[in-house]
Amino acid sequence: MNIFWREMKAQRKSLIIWCVGMVFLLIAGMSKYATLSVPGESQTLNELMADMPKSLQAIFGVGSLDLSTVSGYYGVLFLYIAMMATIHAGMLGATIIAKEERDKTAEFLLVKPITRSMMLTSKLAAALVGVVILNGVTSIGSLMAVQSYSNGENVNQDIMLLMGGLFILQLLFMLLGSAVASLLKLPKRAAGLTSGLLLLTFFISVVIDISGNLDALKFLTPFKYFDAKTVLEAGSLSMGYMLLSLALMVLALVGTYVGYNKRDLKV
Amino acid sequence: MSIIELQQLTKTYGSARGIKNLSFRVEEGEIFGFIGPNGAGKSTTIRTLLGLIYPTSGSAKIFGKDILLHGQEIKKEIGYLPSEVFYYDNMKVKDLLHYSASFYKKDCTKRMNELAALLELDVNKKIDDLSLGNKKKVGIVQGLLHEPRLIILDEPTSGLDPLMQQRFFELLLEENKKGSTILFSSHILSEVQRLCHRVAIIKEGELVSLEKMSTLKANNYKRFKLEASTAVEESSFAIEGVTELVIRDKEVSFMYKGNLNAILRVIASIEIANLWIEEPDLEEIFMHYYEKEA
Repeated sequence: MNIFWREMKAQRKSLIIWCVGMVFLLIAGMSKYATLSVPGESQTLNELMADMPKSLQAIFGVGSLDLSTVSGYYGVLFLYIAMMATIHAGMLGATIIAKEERDKTAEFLLVKPITRSMMLTSKLAAALVGVVILNGVTSIGSLMAVQSYSNGENVNQDIMLLMGGLFILQLLFMLLGSAVASLLKLPKRAAGLTSGLLLLTFFISVVIDISGNLDALKFLTPFKYFDAKTVLEAGSLSMGYMLLSLALMVLALVGTYVGYNKRDLKV
Repeated sequence: MSIIELQQLTKTYGSARGIKNLSFRVEEGEIFGFIGPNGAGKSTTIRTLLGLIYPTSGSAKIFGKDILLHGQEIKKEIGYLPSEVFYYDNMKVKDLLHYSASFYKKDCTKRMNELAALLELDVNKKIDDLSLGNKKKVGIVQGLLHEPRLIILDEPTSGLDPLMQQRFFELLLEENKKGSTILFSSHILSEVQRLCHRVAIIKEGELVSLEKMSTLKANNYKRFKLEASTAVEESSFAIEGVTELVIRDKEVSFMYKGNLNAILRVIASIEIANLWIEEPDLEEIFMHYYEKEA
Protein backbone atom coordinates (compact mmCIF):
# COMPACT_ATOMS: atom_id res chain seq x y z
CA MET A 1 0.00 0.00 0.00
CA ASN A 2 2.86 2.39 0.71
CA ILE A 3 3.99 2.27 -2.92
CA PHE A 4 0.43 2.94 -4.06
CA TRP A 5 0.10 6.05 -1.94
CA ARG A 6 3.54 7.25 -2.94
CA GLU A 7 2.50 6.97 -6.59
CA MET A 8 -0.79 8.72 -5.95
CA LYS A 9 1.12 11.60 -4.44
CA ALA A 10 3.66 11.58 -7.24
CA GLN A 11 1.05 11.83 -9.99
CA ARG A 12 -1.22 14.30 -8.22
CA LYS A 13 0.14 17.45 -9.76
CA SER A 14 0.34 16.18 -13.31
CA LEU A 15 -3.10 14.62 -13.07
CA ILE A 16 -4.58 17.96 -12.05
CA ILE A 17 -2.92 19.58 -15.06
CA TRP A 18 -4.28 16.90 -17.40
CA CYS A 19 -7.77 17.34 -15.95
CA VAL A 20 -7.63 21.09 -16.35
CA GLY A 21 -6.41 20.64 -19.92
CA MET A 22 -9.23 18.24 -20.65
CA VAL A 23 -11.86 20.60 -19.26
CA PHE A 24 -10.35 23.41 -21.30
CA LEU A 25 -10.50 21.27 -24.44
CA LEU A 26 -14.15 20.50 -23.76
CA ILE A 27 -15.13 24.08 -23.09
CA ALA A 28 -13.15 25.49 -26.00
CA GLY A 29 -14.32 22.75 -28.33
CA MET A 30 -17.99 23.03 -27.43
CA SER A 31 -18.00 26.82 -27.47
CA LYS A 32 -17.12 26.61 -31.17
CA TYR A 33 -20.34 24.68 -31.56
CA ALA A 34 -22.25 27.62 -30.16
CA THR A 35 -21.15 29.81 -33.03
CA LEU A 36 -21.78 27.06 -35.56
CA SER A 37 -25.19 26.06 -34.32
CA VAL A 38 -26.87 29.33 -35.22
CA PRO A 39 -29.78 28.27 -37.45
CA GLY A 40 -28.81 28.32 -41.07
CA GLU A 41 -25.10 28.37 -40.29
CA SER A 42 -24.87 24.71 -39.33
CA GLN A 43 -26.05 23.46 -42.67
CA THR A 44 -23.44 25.59 -44.36
CA LEU A 45 -20.82 24.02 -42.16
CA ASN A 46 -21.87 20.53 -43.19
CA GLU A 47 -21.68 21.63 -46.81
CA LEU A 48 -18.32 23.28 -46.27
CA MET A 49 -16.96 20.10 -44.72
CA ALA A 50 -18.42 17.98 -47.49
CA ASP A 51 -16.61 20.16 -50.03
CA MET A 52 -13.29 19.60 -48.34
CA PRO A 53 -10.98 16.92 -49.71
CA LYS A 54 -11.44 13.56 -48.06
CA SER A 55 -7.96 13.60 -46.53
CA LEU A 56 -8.65 16.89 -44.80
CA GLN A 57 -11.96 15.55 -43.53
CA ALA A 58 -10.17 12.53 -42.17
CA ILE A 59 -7.60 14.59 -40.31
CA PHE A 60 -10.33 16.72 -38.77
CA GLY A 61 -12.09 13.48 -37.90
CA VAL A 62 -15.28 14.67 -39.53
CA GLY A 63 -16.19 11.76 -41.76
CA SER A 64 -19.91 11.50 -42.11
CA LEU A 65 -20.85 12.84 -38.70
CA ASP A 66 -23.66 15.33 -38.78
CA LEU A 67 -22.13 18.54 -37.48
CA SER A 68 -25.48 20.20 -37.13
CA THR A 69 -26.42 17.98 -34.18
CA VAL A 70 -24.67 18.39 -30.87
CA SER A 71 -23.91 14.66 -30.60
CA GLY A 72 -22.43 14.66 -34.10
CA TYR A 73 -20.28 17.65 -33.24
CA TYR A 74 -19.23 16.03 -29.98
CA GLY A 75 -18.32 12.92 -31.97
CA VAL A 76 -15.74 14.98 -33.86
CA LEU A 77 -14.42 16.44 -30.64
CA PHE A 78 -14.24 12.94 -29.21
CA LEU A 79 -11.26 12.10 -31.41
CA TYR A 80 -9.22 14.82 -29.73
CA ILE A 81 -10.48 13.84 -26.30
CA ALA A 82 -9.46 10.24 -26.95
CA MET A 83 -6.09 11.37 -28.21
CA MET A 84 -5.44 13.37 -25.07
CA ALA A 85 -6.70 10.76 -22.63
CA THR A 86 -4.74 7.94 -24.26
CA ILE A 87 -1.52 9.96 -24.32
CA HIS A 88 -1.99 10.54 -20.61
CA ALA A 89 -2.67 6.86 -20.00
CA GLY A 90 0.19 5.59 -22.14
CA MET A 91 2.76 7.94 -20.65
CA LEU A 92 1.53 7.28 -17.13
CA GLY A 93 1.70 3.52 -17.61
CA ALA A 94 5.19 3.70 -19.05
CA THR A 95 6.61 6.26 -16.66
CA ILE A 96 5.24 4.81 -13.46
CA ILE A 97 7.19 1.60 -14.13
CA ALA A 98 10.25 3.04 -15.85
CA LYS A 99 10.98 5.90 -13.48
CA GLU A 100 12.51 3.77 -10.75
CA GLU A 101 15.20 2.73 -13.17
CA ARG A 102 15.38 6.11 -14.89
CA ASP A 103 15.90 7.97 -11.60
CA LYS A 104 18.05 5.15 -10.22
CA THR A 105 15.72 4.63 -7.30
CA ALA A 106 15.29 0.95 -8.17
CA GLU A 107 18.33 0.30 -6.02
CA PHE A 108 16.41 1.84 -3.15
CA LEU A 109 12.96 0.40 -3.71
CA LEU A 110 13.71 -3.13 -4.83
CA VAL A 111 16.05 -3.97 -1.98
CA LYS A 112 13.10 -3.53 0.35
CA PRO A 113 11.29 -6.71 1.33
CA ILE A 114 8.91 -6.70 -1.63
CA THR A 115 8.74 -8.75 -4.80
CA ARG A 116 8.85 -7.09 -8.18
CA SER A 117 5.28 -8.24 -8.79
CA MET A 118 4.10 -6.51 -5.63
CA MET A 119 5.68 -3.31 -6.87
CA LEU A 120 4.03 -3.66 -10.28
CA THR A 121 0.61 -4.31 -8.77
CA SER A 122 0.79 -1.25 -6.52
CA LYS A 123 1.96 0.95 -9.35
CA LEU A 124 -0.60 -0.30 -11.86
CA ALA A 125 -3.31 0.22 -9.26
CA ALA A 126 -2.18 3.82 -8.81
CA ALA A 127 -2.08 4.34 -12.58
CA LEU A 128 -5.56 2.84 -12.86
CA VAL A 129 -6.88 5.34 -10.34
CA GLY A 130 -5.29 8.16 -12.35
CA VAL A 131 -6.96 6.89 -15.51
CA VAL A 132 -10.33 6.54 -13.79
CA ILE A 133 -10.11 10.08 -12.44
CA LEU A 134 -9.30 11.57 -15.83
CA ASN A 135 -12.13 9.55 -17.39
CA GLY A 136 -14.50 10.74 -14.66
CA VAL A 137 -13.54 14.36 -15.15
CA THR A 138 -13.92 13.98 -18.92
CA SER A 139 -17.33 12.34 -18.51
CA ILE A 140 -18.69 14.97 -16.15
CA GLY A 141 -17.14 17.76 -18.21
CA SER A 142 -18.62 16.36 -21.42
CA LEU A 143 -22.07 15.93 -19.93
CA MET A 144 -22.09 19.47 -18.65
CA ALA A 145 -20.54 21.08 -21.72
CA VAL A 146 -22.77 19.26 -24.17
CA GLN A 147 -25.91 19.68 -22.08
CA SER A 148 -25.71 23.44 -22.33
CA TYR A 149 -25.91 23.25 -26.13
CA SER A 150 -28.23 20.28 -26.47
CA ASN A 151 -31.52 22.13 -27.07
CA GLY A 152 -33.45 19.22 -25.73
CA GLU A 153 -31.54 16.65 -27.76
CA ASN A 154 -30.92 13.66 -25.44
CA VAL A 155 -27.21 13.14 -25.54
CA ASN A 156 -26.33 11.73 -22.13
CA GLN A 157 -26.53 8.15 -23.21
CA ASP A 158 -24.38 8.73 -26.29
CA ILE A 159 -21.76 10.46 -24.19
CA MET A 160 -21.64 7.74 -21.56
CA LEU A 161 -21.28 5.17 -24.30
CA LEU A 162 -18.32 7.03 -25.78
CA MET A 163 -16.82 7.42 -22.32
CA GLY A 164 -17.06 3.66 -21.88
CA GLY A 165 -15.14 3.22 -25.12
CA LEU A 166 -12.67 5.87 -23.99
CA PHE A 167 -12.05 4.01 -20.74
CA ILE A 168 -11.19 0.83 -22.61
CA LEU A 169 -8.80 2.78 -24.85
CA GLN A 170 -7.18 4.39 -21.82
CA LEU A 171 -6.68 1.05 -20.10
CA LEU A 172 -5.30 -0.44 -23.26
CA PHE A 173 -2.69 2.28 -23.74
CA MET A 174 -1.82 2.37 -20.04
CA LEU A 175 -1.02 -1.35 -20.12
CA LEU A 176 0.77 -1.00 -23.43
CA GLY A 177 2.94 1.65 -21.79
CA SER A 178 3.68 -0.52 -18.78
CA ALA A 179 4.51 -3.45 -21.06
CA VAL A 180 6.94 -1.30 -23.05
CA ALA A 181 8.60 -0.16 -19.82
CA SER A 182 8.77 -3.70 -18.45
CA LEU A 183 9.87 -5.62 -21.51
CA LEU A 184 12.54 -3.21 -22.69
CA LYS A 185 15.52 -2.15 -20.65
CA LEU A 186 15.20 1.43 -21.88
CA PRO A 187 13.83 3.37 -18.92
CA LYS A 188 14.63 6.78 -20.42
CA ARG A 189 12.81 6.03 -23.65
CA ALA A 190 9.81 4.02 -22.45
CA ALA A 191 7.40 6.99 -22.39
CA GLY A 192 8.68 8.24 -25.75
CA LEU A 193 8.32 4.85 -27.36
CA THR A 194 4.79 4.49 -26.03
CA SER A 195 3.81 7.90 -27.42
CA GLY A 196 5.40 6.93 -30.71
CA LEU A 197 3.35 3.75 -30.80
CA LEU A 198 0.26 5.77 -30.03
CA LEU A 199 0.89 8.27 -32.80
CA LEU A 200 1.57 5.45 -35.20
CA THR A 201 -1.80 3.83 -34.49
CA PHE A 202 -3.44 7.24 -34.73
CA PHE A 203 -1.80 7.76 -38.10
CA ILE A 204 -3.01 4.34 -39.26
CA SER A 205 -6.56 5.30 -38.33
CA VAL A 206 -6.25 8.52 -40.37
CA VAL A 207 -4.92 6.56 -43.34
CA ILE A 208 -7.86 4.17 -43.07
CA ASP A 209 -10.25 7.14 -43.15
CA ILE A 210 -8.56 8.71 -46.15
CA SER A 211 -8.33 5.61 -48.27
CA GLY A 212 -11.84 4.45 -47.45
CA ASN A 213 -11.11 0.88 -48.48
CA LEU A 214 -8.72 -0.30 -45.80
CA ASP A 215 -11.38 -1.28 -43.30
CA ALA A 216 -9.72 -4.67 -42.94
CA LEU A 217 -6.86 -2.94 -41.16
CA LYS A 218 -9.04 -1.44 -38.46
CA PHE A 219 -7.97 -4.07 -35.95
CA LEU A 220 -4.46 -2.56 -36.08
CA THR A 221 -5.48 0.71 -34.48
CA PRO A 222 -7.39 0.99 -31.23
CA PHE A 223 -8.59 4.42 -32.35
CA LYS A 224 -10.88 2.61 -34.77
CA TYR A 225 -12.25 0.17 -32.19
CA PHE A 226 -14.72 2.64 -30.76
CA ASP A 227 -14.94 5.17 -33.56
CA ALA A 228 -17.49 7.83 -32.56
CA LYS A 229 -19.36 7.59 -35.84
CA THR A 230 -19.87 3.82 -35.62
CA VAL A 231 -20.67 3.87 -31.94
CA LEU A 232 -23.25 6.64 -32.30
CA GLU A 233 -24.89 4.93 -35.26
CA ALA A 234 -24.98 1.51 -33.62
CA GLY A 235 -25.92 2.83 -30.18
CA SER A 236 -23.52 0.36 -28.59
CA LEU A 237 -19.84 -0.58 -28.42
CA SER A 238 -18.74 -3.32 -30.77
CA MET A 239 -18.56 -6.62 -28.92
CA GLY A 240 -15.82 -7.91 -31.23
CA TYR A 241 -13.55 -4.96 -30.56
CA MET A 242 -14.25 -5.14 -26.86
CA LEU A 243 -13.05 -8.72 -26.87
CA LEU A 244 -10.03 -7.78 -28.97
CA SER A 245 -9.22 -4.97 -26.53
CA LEU A 246 -9.55 -7.35 -23.63
CA ALA A 247 -7.22 -9.84 -25.30
CA LEU A 248 -4.64 -7.11 -25.95
CA MET A 249 -4.89 -5.91 -22.37
CA VAL A 250 -4.32 -9.39 -21.02
CA LEU A 251 -1.35 -9.76 -23.34
CA ALA A 252 0.12 -6.44 -22.21
CA LEU A 253 -0.47 -7.33 -18.57
CA VAL A 254 1.28 -10.67 -18.93
CA GLY A 255 4.11 -8.91 -20.81
CA THR A 256 4.42 -6.41 -17.97
CA TYR A 257 4.68 -8.98 -15.19
CA VAL A 258 6.74 -11.58 -17.02
CA GLY A 259 9.03 -9.02 -18.64
CA TYR A 260 9.75 -7.13 -15.44
CA ASN A 261 10.27 -10.25 -13.36
CA LYS A 262 12.59 -11.90 -15.82
CA ARG A 263 15.02 -9.21 -16.76
CA ASP A 264 17.93 -7.56 -15.02
CA LEU A 265 17.11 -4.14 -13.71
CA LYS A 266 19.06 -1.29 -15.12
CA VAL A 267 21.08 -0.07 -12.17
CA MET B 1 26.29 -20.26 10.27
CA SER B 2 27.28 -18.56 7.04
CA ILE B 3 25.36 -15.38 6.50
CA ILE B 4 26.32 -15.14 2.85
CA GLU B 5 27.37 -18.07 0.76
CA LEU B 6 28.37 -17.75 -2.89
CA GLN B 7 28.78 -20.84 -5.00
CA GLN B 8 30.38 -20.45 -8.39
CA LEU B 9 28.37 -17.28 -8.82
CA THR B 10 28.72 -16.01 -12.37
CA LYS B 11 27.22 -13.01 -14.05
CA THR B 12 28.24 -12.11 -17.55
CA TYR B 13 27.10 -9.09 -19.46
CA GLY B 14 27.36 -8.66 -23.17
CA SER B 15 30.77 -7.09 -22.75
CA ALA B 16 33.61 -8.32 -20.59
CA ARG B 17 32.17 -6.91 -17.39
CA GLY B 18 30.83 -9.29 -14.81
CA ILE B 19 31.95 -11.90 -12.31
CA LYS B 20 33.25 -15.38 -12.88
CA ASN B 21 32.80 -18.39 -10.60
CA LEU B 22 32.88 -16.40 -7.42
CA SER B 23 32.75 -18.55 -4.28
CA PHE B 24 33.19 -17.43 -0.71
CA ARG B 25 31.37 -17.32 2.60
CA VAL B 26 30.73 -14.53 5.02
CA GLU B 27 30.26 -15.80 8.56
CA GLU B 28 27.90 -14.44 11.17
CA GLY B 29 29.27 -11.50 13.11
CA GLU B 30 32.02 -10.72 10.64
CA ILE B 31 32.97 -7.46 9.05
CA PHE B 32 33.91 -8.70 5.65
CA GLY B 33 35.88 -6.50 3.29
CA PHE B 34 35.35 -6.78 -0.41
CA ILE B 35 38.04 -4.95 -2.26
CA GLY B 36 39.13 -4.38 -5.79
CA PRO B 37 39.56 -1.49 -8.19
CA ASN B 38 36.63 0.13 -9.95
CA GLY B 39 35.04 -2.22 -12.45
CA ALA B 40 36.32 -5.37 -10.76
CA GLY B 41 32.80 -6.67 -10.17
CA LYS B 42 32.08 -5.62 -6.60
CA SER B 43 28.82 -3.85 -7.37
CA THR B 44 27.79 -6.61 -9.77
CA THR B 45 28.22 -9.16 -7.00
CA ILE B 46 26.23 -7.11 -4.53
CA ARG B 47 23.43 -6.36 -6.99
CA THR B 48 23.18 -10.05 -7.82
CA LEU B 49 22.96 -10.92 -4.14
CA LEU B 50 20.16 -8.39 -3.76
CA GLY B 51 18.21 -9.74 -6.73
CA LEU B 52 18.46 -6.55 -8.79
CA ILE B 53 20.15 -8.57 -11.51
CA TYR B 54 20.11 -12.32 -11.97
CA PRO B 55 23.09 -14.69 -12.01
CA THR B 56 24.06 -16.31 -15.30
CA SER B 57 25.06 -19.44 -13.42
CA GLY B 58 25.93 -20.55 -9.93
CA SER B 59 23.95 -19.74 -6.83
CA ALA B 60 24.06 -17.81 -3.62
CA LYS B 61 22.43 -18.04 -0.25
CA ILE B 62 21.81 -15.42 2.38
CA PHE B 63 20.82 -16.56 5.88
CA GLY B 64 20.90 -20.07 4.38
CA LYS B 65 18.12 -19.23 1.93
CA ASP B 66 18.45 -19.11 -1.82
CA ILE B 67 18.54 -15.54 -3.11
CA LEU B 68 16.30 -16.24 -6.07
CA LEU B 69 13.63 -18.20 -4.24
CA HIS B 70 13.42 -16.26 -0.99
CA GLY B 71 14.45 -12.75 -2.02
CA GLN B 72 11.58 -11.01 -0.30
CA GLU B 73 12.08 -12.80 2.99
CA ILE B 74 15.83 -12.29 2.98
CA LYS B 75 15.53 -8.59 2.34
CA LYS B 76 13.57 -8.06 5.54
CA GLU B 77 16.85 -8.31 7.39
CA ILE B 78 19.19 -6.60 4.99
CA GLY B 79 20.20 -2.99 5.05
CA TYR B 80 21.80 -1.71 1.88
CA LEU B 81 23.65 1.45 1.07
CA PRO B 82 24.24 1.79 -2.68
CA SER B 83 27.37 3.43 -4.01
CA GLU B 84 25.49 6.24 -5.66
CA VAL B 85 22.61 7.63 -3.71
CA PHE B 86 19.67 8.78 -5.81
CA TYR B 87 16.34 9.40 -4.22
CA TYR B 88 12.96 10.65 -5.21
CA ASP B 89 13.02 14.34 -5.94
CA ASN B 90 10.78 16.69 -4.13
CA MET B 91 10.79 14.54 -1.04
CA LYS B 92 11.89 15.71 2.34
CA VAL B 93 14.46 13.63 4.16
CA LYS B 94 11.95 12.54 6.76
CA ASP B 95 9.40 11.59 4.09
CA LEU B 96 11.94 9.33 2.47
CA LEU B 97 12.97 7.81 5.78
CA HIS B 98 9.37 7.13 6.73
CA TYR B 99 8.78 5.68 3.27
CA SER B 100 11.77 3.42 3.73
CA ALA B 101 10.64 2.41 7.22
CA SER B 102 7.13 1.63 5.99
CA PHE B 103 8.45 -1.46 4.22
CA TYR B 104 9.51 -3.10 7.46
CA LYS B 105 6.92 -4.42 9.79
CA LYS B 106 8.22 -2.74 12.88
CA ASP B 107 8.44 0.70 14.38
CA CYS B 108 11.69 2.25 13.27
CA THR B 109 11.03 5.83 14.35
CA LYS B 110 13.23 5.76 17.43
CA ARG B 111 16.24 4.30 15.67
CA MET B 112 15.71 6.65 12.74
CA ASN B 113 15.87 9.70 14.98
CA GLU B 114 18.90 8.36 16.82
CA LEU B 115 20.79 7.81 13.59
CA ALA B 116 19.82 11.17 12.13
CA ALA B 117 20.98 12.90 15.30
CA LEU B 118 24.22 10.98 15.38
CA LEU B 119 25.06 11.91 11.80
CA GLU B 120 23.77 15.47 12.24
CA LEU B 121 21.29 15.07 9.43
CA ASP B 122 18.57 17.69 9.08
CA VAL B 123 15.44 15.66 8.32
CA ASN B 124 13.34 18.66 7.33
CA LYS B 125 15.36 19.52 4.25
CA LYS B 126 14.48 18.47 0.74
CA ILE B 127 16.71 15.74 -0.58
CA ASP B 128 17.29 17.72 -3.74
CA ASP B 129 18.94 20.49 -1.79
CA LEU B 130 21.40 18.23 0.00
CA SER B 131 25.10 17.97 -0.73
CA LEU B 132 26.58 14.65 -1.79
CA GLY B 133 27.79 13.93 1.73
CA ASN B 134 24.41 14.67 3.24
CA LYS B 135 22.69 12.49 0.66
CA LYS B 136 25.06 9.75 1.69
CA LYS B 137 23.92 10.23 5.27
CA VAL B 138 20.32 9.78 4.17
CA GLY B 139 21.46 6.55 2.56
CA ILE B 140 23.12 5.40 5.75
CA VAL B 141 20.10 6.14 7.90
CA GLN B 142 17.64 4.44 5.51
CA GLY B 143 19.95 1.44 5.37
CA LEU B 144 20.28 1.04 9.12
CA LEU B 145 16.98 2.22 10.55
CA HIS B 146 15.41 -1.23 10.68
CA GLU B 147 18.37 -2.70 12.56
CA PRO B 148 19.19 -5.29 9.91
CA ARG B 149 21.04 -8.52 10.57
CA LEU B 150 23.14 -8.03 7.46
CA ILE B 151 24.45 -4.65 6.36
CA ILE B 152 25.72 -4.36 2.79
CA LEU B 153 27.71 -1.26 1.97
CA ASP B 154 28.91 -0.40 -1.50
CA GLU B 155 31.63 2.25 -1.41
CA PRO B 156 29.96 3.87 1.57
CA THR B 157 32.33 6.67 2.50
CA SER B 158 32.58 8.74 -0.66
CA GLY B 159 31.46 12.26 0.07
CA LEU B 160 31.66 11.98 3.84
CA ASP B 161 34.06 14.28 5.59
CA PRO B 162 36.68 12.65 7.85
CA LEU B 163 34.77 13.41 11.02
CA MET B 164 31.60 11.84 9.67
CA GLN B 165 33.57 8.92 8.33
CA GLN B 166 34.92 8.35 11.80
CA ARG B 167 31.45 8.52 13.30
CA PHE B 168 30.10 6.21 10.62
CA PHE B 169 32.82 3.64 11.30
CA GLU B 170 32.09 3.79 15.02
CA LEU B 171 28.45 3.25 14.20
CA LEU B 172 29.30 0.21 12.11
CA LEU B 173 31.48 -1.25 14.84
CA GLU B 174 28.65 -0.73 17.29
CA GLU B 175 26.16 -2.46 14.99
CA ASN B 176 28.66 -5.26 14.56
CA LYS B 177 29.00 -5.62 18.32
CA LYS B 178 25.22 -5.91 18.55
CA GLY B 179 25.43 -8.85 16.17
CA SER B 180 25.12 -7.47 12.66
CA THR B 181 27.22 -8.95 9.92
CA ILE B 182 28.69 -6.42 7.53
CA LEU B 183 29.76 -6.73 3.91
CA PHE B 184 31.89 -3.74 3.13
CA SER B 185 32.87 -3.11 -0.46
CA SER B 186 35.52 -0.55 -1.19
CA HIS B 187 38.49 0.41 -3.28
CA ILE B 188 39.88 2.53 -0.48
CA LEU B 189 42.08 0.12 1.34
CA SER B 190 42.81 2.03 4.48
CA GLU B 191 39.16 1.97 5.50
CA VAL B 192 38.92 -1.75 4.89
CA GLN B 193 42.08 -2.17 6.88
CA ARG B 194 40.60 -0.31 9.83
CA LEU B 195 37.35 -2.20 10.00
CA CYS B 196 37.41 -5.62 8.49
CA HIS B 197 38.16 -9.02 9.93
CA ARG B 198 38.59 -10.73 6.59
CA VAL B 199 38.96 -9.50 3.05
CA ALA B 200 38.23 -10.88 -0.36
CA ILE B 201 40.27 -9.34 -3.13
CA ILE B 202 38.57 -9.35 -6.48
CA LYS B 203 40.04 -8.58 -9.86
CA GLU B 204 38.36 -8.62 -13.24
CA GLY B 205 35.45 -10.55 -11.79
CA GLU B 206 37.54 -13.25 -10.17
CA LEU B 207 38.51 -13.88 -6.60
CA VAL B 208 42.24 -13.30 -6.29
CA SER B 209 42.63 -13.88 -2.61
CA LEU B 210 40.64 -14.39 0.53
CA GLU B 211 42.48 -13.84 3.75
CA LYS B 212 42.18 -12.81 7.33
CA MET B 213 43.16 -9.23 7.75
CA SER B 214 45.71 -10.26 10.36
CA THR B 215 47.32 -12.79 8.01
CA LEU B 216 47.34 -10.38 5.18
CA LYS B 217 48.97 -7.69 7.23
CA ALA B 218 51.28 -9.47 9.60
CA ASN B 219 52.49 -12.70 8.11
CA ASN B 220 53.12 -11.98 4.57
CA TYR B 221 54.96 -8.96 3.50
CA LYS B 222 57.51 -6.60 4.92
CA ARG B 223 58.85 -3.59 3.19
CA PHE B 224 62.62 -3.26 3.50
CA LYS B 225 64.57 -0.13 2.81
CA LEU B 226 68.29 0.17 3.47
CA GLU B 227 71.14 2.47 2.79
CA ALA B 228 74.50 0.82 2.28
CA SER B 229 77.93 2.31 2.80
CA THR B 230 79.26 0.86 -0.40
CA ALA B 231 77.74 -0.06 -3.74
CA VAL B 232 75.41 -3.05 -3.57
CA GLU B 233 75.35 -6.00 -5.94
CA GLU B 234 71.92 -6.87 -7.20
CA SER B 235 72.83 -10.54 -6.97
CA SER B 236 73.07 -10.39 -3.19
CA PHE B 237 69.31 -10.10 -3.00
CA ALA B 238 68.60 -12.93 -5.39
CA ILE B 239 66.87 -15.04 -2.77
CA GLU B 240 63.37 -16.36 -2.72
CA GLY B 241 60.71 -13.98 -1.41
CA VAL B 242 62.24 -10.76 -2.60
CA THR B 243 60.16 -8.72 -5.00
CA GLU B 244 60.02 -5.20 -6.31
CA LEU B 245 63.73 -4.86 -5.82
CA VAL B 246 64.96 -1.38 -6.56
CA ILE B 247 68.63 -0.47 -6.21
CA ARG B 248 69.57 3.14 -6.71
CA ASP B 249 73.19 3.86 -5.89
CA LYS B 250 73.48 2.82 -2.29
CA GLU B 251 69.79 2.75 -1.60
CA VAL B 252 67.96 -0.53 -1.73
CA SER B 253 64.26 -1.18 -1.32
CA PHE B 254 62.18 -4.31 -1.76
CA MET B 255 59.21 -6.29 -0.50
CA TYR B 256 59.91 -9.50 1.28
CA LYS B 257 57.78 -12.49 2.15
CA GLY B 258 59.30 -15.48 3.91
CA ASN B 259 61.71 -16.38 6.67
CA LEU B 260 63.04 -13.19 8.20
CA ASN B 261 66.31 -14.85 9.31
CA ALA B 262 67.24 -15.56 5.73
CA ILE B 263 66.88 -11.98 4.63
CA LEU B 264 68.55 -10.61 7.74
CA ARG B 265 71.58 -12.79 7.01
CA VAL B 266 71.79 -11.21 3.57
CA ILE B 267 71.55 -7.74 5.07
CA ALA B 268 74.10 -8.55 7.72
CA SER B 269 76.61 -9.38 5.03
CA ILE B 270 76.40 -5.83 3.70
CA GLU B 271 77.92 -2.81 5.32
CA ILE B 272 74.80 -0.76 5.98
CA ALA B 273 74.34 2.82 7.08
CA ASN B 274 70.64 2.74 7.75
CA LEU B 275 67.75 0.26 7.75
CA TRP B 276 63.96 0.49 7.77
CA ILE B 277 61.65 -2.48 8.05
CA GLU B 278 58.04 -1.48 7.64
CA GLU B 279 54.68 -3.09 7.84
CA PRO B 280 53.30 -2.57 4.37
CA ASP B 281 49.87 -1.08 4.31
CA LEU B 282 47.13 -2.90 2.53
CA GLU B 283 47.53 -0.69 -0.47
CA GLU B 284 50.97 -2.05 -1.12
CA ILE B 285 49.88 -5.62 -0.61
CA PHE B 286 46.98 -5.00 -2.84
CA MET B 287 49.04 -3.43 -5.60
CA HIS B 288 51.30 -6.39 -5.24
CA TYR B 289 48.46 -8.76 -6.07
CA TYR B 290 47.67 -6.79 -9.13
CA GLU B 291 51.19 -6.35 -10.40
CA LYS B 292 51.95 -10.01 -9.95
CA GLU B 293 49.19 -10.87 -12.34
CA ALA B 294 49.95 -8.21 -14.88
